[in-house]
Amino acid sequence: MLILKLWVLNLKFEQMKVKVIGIPVQDQEKALEFYTGKLGFVKKVDVPLGGDSRWLTVVSKEEQDGPEVLLEPSPNHFEPAKTYQKALFETGIPYTQFNVENVQQEYERMVSIGVEFSVKPTEMGTVKIAVFNDTCGNNIQIVEML
Amino acid sequence: MTLYESEIKRIRSIVYSNQGQIDTVIATRNYIDNNYDTDLNLNLLSHIRFVSKFHLLRLFTKYYGQTPKQYLTDKRIEKSKEYLKKGKNITETCFAVGFECPSSFSTLFKNRTGLTPTEFQKEQLSQSRSNADFETLGIKPKI
Repeated sequence: MLILKLWVLNLKFEQMKVKVIGIPVQDQEKALEFYTGKLGFVKKVDVPLGGDSRWLTVVSKEEQDGPEVLLEPSPNHFEPAKTYQKALFETGIPYTQFNVENVQQEYERMVSIGVEFSVKPTEMGTVKIAVFNDTCGNNIQIVEML
Repeated sequence: MTLYESEIKRIRSIVYSNQGQIDTVIATRNYIDNNYDTDLNLNLLSHIRFVSKFHLLRLFTKYYGQTPKQYLTDKRIEKSKEYLKKGKNITETCFAVGFECPSSFSTLFKNRTGLTPTEFQKEQLSQSRSNADFETLGIKPKI
């Protein structure tokens, strides 16, 4: 009987999955332009939420069934989010990071299209990193595994 | 200099001061990346870098946060997804990424991805078909 119960529980039990990570942005349309135009992401979901707000996500072009990046307008609607974002930005701390094959090449490509970096490609043990301004209030880090 | 830059310098001087160790683990990881499809084991990896296998195991885990075996398995699963997406069958995929037994490969694949290789391949094919259908209709799919 116990075995049967465990079997039923096992059937019903589903693990949580990472599907969406959020990045606060001050202007969703501008963020969409930057994340698709400069970073090469692809728009996946765009749902109007009333007013100017949208549920707006982008995905990596190479992993379109992978995790979505939610460009959320939280700094415009929740003062503490704005304060937190500003504090991180001013201290140069990245809000999040994305993996790339080659940090140096990506750095050169992005600089050539006008993206500003606060940390140039830097080796840090077993990784190489660089940090850029996403023009929407965040520092974002790119990482290459060495 | 921002706070973040000074933190990078501080952490680097504490954690990543031994360049010899870093070179060893990076070379080991690169070797795994280039030879994941062969019969790799800790003995072989340690001989290549002239270090004891226990030392290599400790170093690799210290710097990458996982054992060489765990890293190799992740690499093989990642590569097997690429082969399955390209339409290779399960047995071909299994051997192409360095596994020796298709049934063990299928079990491991399901543990890591939640799907059997067959289910994964069907899902990928149906996604690419539905995208192709949209394109035939002149509709640009969101994905």
